[in-house]
Amino acid sequence: MAKLELKDIRKSFGSAEVLKGIDLTVEDGEFVAFVGPSGCGKSTLLRLICGLDEITSGKMAIDGELVNDVPPAKRGIAMVFQSYALYPHMTVAENMGYALRLAGTPKQEIDARVSQAARKLRIDTYLDRKPRQLSGGQRQRVAIGRAIVREPRIFLFDEPLSNLDASLRVEMRIEIARMKDTLGTTMVYVTHDQIEAMTLADKIVVLNSGRVEQIGSPLDLYNKPVNRFVAGFIGSPRMNFLKLGARKGEGGFAVPGGEVRLPRDLSSSPVEIGIRPEHVELVGRGAPDSLAGIVTMTEHLGSDTYAYVALEGSEEMVVVRLSGDRAVKRGEPIGVHVDPAMIHVFSADGLSLASARAVALEAA
Amino acid sequence: MFDLSSRQAKIVFFAALAVIGFFLFFPLYWLVISSLKANAELYRVVPTPFPTMPSLEHFVRALTTGKLPMYLTNSLITSTCSASLVTLLALYAGFSFAKYRYFGRQPVMLFMLSAQMFPFGLLLISIYPMMSELNLLDTRPGLILSYIVFALPVSTYMLYSYFSQVPDELIDAARADGASDLRIFHTIVIPISIPPIVTVFLYSFMWSWNDLLYSMTLIVSDEKRTIGPGLLLTYLNEVNADWGGAMAASLVASAPIVAAFMFLQRYFIQGVTAGAVK
Repeated sequence: MAKLELKDIRKSFGSAEVLKGIDLTVEDGEFVAFVGPSGCGKSTLLRLICGLDEITSGKMAIDGELVNDVPPAKRGIAMVFQSYALYPHMTVAENMGYALRLAGTPKQEIDARVSQAARKLRIDTYLDRKPRQLSGGQRQRVAIGRAIVREPRIFLFDEPLSNLDASLRVEMRIEIARMKDTLGTTMVYVTHDQIEAMTLADKIVVLNSGRVEQIGSPLDLYNKPVNRFVAGFIGSPRMNFLKLGARKGEGGFAVPGGEVRLPRDLSSSPVEIGIRPEHVELVGRGAPDSLAGIVTMTEHLGSDTYAYVALEGSEEMVVVRLSGDRAVKRGEPIGVHVDPAMIHVFSADGLSLASARAVALEAA
Repeated sequence: MFDLSSRQAKIVFFAALAVIGFFLFFPLYWLVISSLKANAELYRVVPTPFPTMPSLEHFVRALTTGKLPMYLTNSLITSTCSASLVTLLALYAGFSFAKYRYFGRQPVMLFMLSAQMFPFGLLLISIYPMMSELNLLDTRPGLILSYIVFALPVSTYMLYSYFSQVPDELIDAARADGASDLRIFHTIVIPISIPPIVTVFLYSFMWSWNDLLYSMTLIVSDEKRTIGPGLLLTYLNEVNADWGGAMAASLVASAPIVAAFMFLQRYFIQGVTAGAVK
């Protein structure tokens, strides 16, 4: 187990700066997920932590010891790769024992550790097989097993489940959650799947263009995004954004399809609001605090129904999350009720302004 | 792809195949039947399509009276040595070009390949004085060295292409497991690259086995002569033209290559087509 500290980590490839000063502390035993769009630098950051690439500038310490120039194997880190990266010519047992063999561990101990890890991951009957004789899920287990036998201080996962089909992914997610509880090792997990991040992580780091946008618990990011990027990135379907128009009386602003009421004590002038699909409701035309629109499309997922509403007088589309049994007719003129307490407000530079919702959550 | 749905297209296609096949296999066929014909039948004005009285006399003569076994041994030594060295050098060079980024990587590779653009006969003119200066004329090491020079660029390029497709994650995983660069190469990359390695070995082996020009020019003593010039000087020279013996000896000479190809065919085909799909 170990505490990982990153201070002003920068990484450049030639003249392109990919990471622009990352500060992060991962506490002992904590599970941290890196999320962000493609090319945001999350995998690069993971490779720097592993030691596969050199840090251009900044400091990285594990348990207080500076590890910038320490080779990967000496860092006490094990990494699980997206493509599993199993050695195709070695058996499962040889794959799992390779690192220990390199470290000069006695054969008996290697065998004991390999079979113990294999039992834990339920791959002990495949130890003599080659990777090509295994299914995707089994390969992923071997890849995890290869990391476990090293008994590392920190586990790194680079999108480990993205090559699996949907049902296996859920199964392996639960497996990783169980592993997190039983091993209690510090883990860093890169993913583009926010469900994985939200369900597994103690702390999520949202990255964008080589910078940290926000660090926080999954619910913190969902409830209190610090800016428009995080607000739009966390949550599925994504948050609805509406540009604010002219002021209308005290705290009122024109938006497509009607007007919204915002708190009066905002620190700077608001230009845009965000509202999550689960915080809007379909109501009759003309109901109070509602915007006029027409249902253009519906998606029935069984548990939920998503209605896509085109707001009157604009191209803007609002997604509304409804219960699965709710029937909505396409082309139906309706009202979209927006709960003022659930509105996120953004300034011109994309920063989140203290909203009524945040105040309400603080009070709770 | 070709559209072979119509009958006409099929006929044209198979006719074309037959013509190509004829040009490819007829000389081989002629080689085999001529080696089995007795001299009286061989020198008839109107040749016979099959040997009327098949006999192995040419083979017996080639293997017992001539110097064929010696030439074959010489070729085996030269070809095995040069193919082994080419494969060894191409392995490291190809891996370095494929997986490391350093100054001058591209130009060096292009420079190496550019050697292939000159006619081999032309290069001989510059190789000869070099070998002479180095006292390597009429020596096996000299001949082996010249074969390495010619087979190495393409061999390196073949392995470079293959190694470029070895996933970086595999190498990263081994590095994270604590393996050094050489160790990764020896314990991970080489074991998964057997087909292209066999291909390169066979390619360079054939190159030196089939050579006539270099061996003829660089080697003068009969006891070091390889099979190509050996055959030519024994059977088809100013004073005689022993076609039956030449055919039988040629068959014997090509046997090792054919045997090696048949034995290693599985790897060879895999190597040639590696990366063609997916």
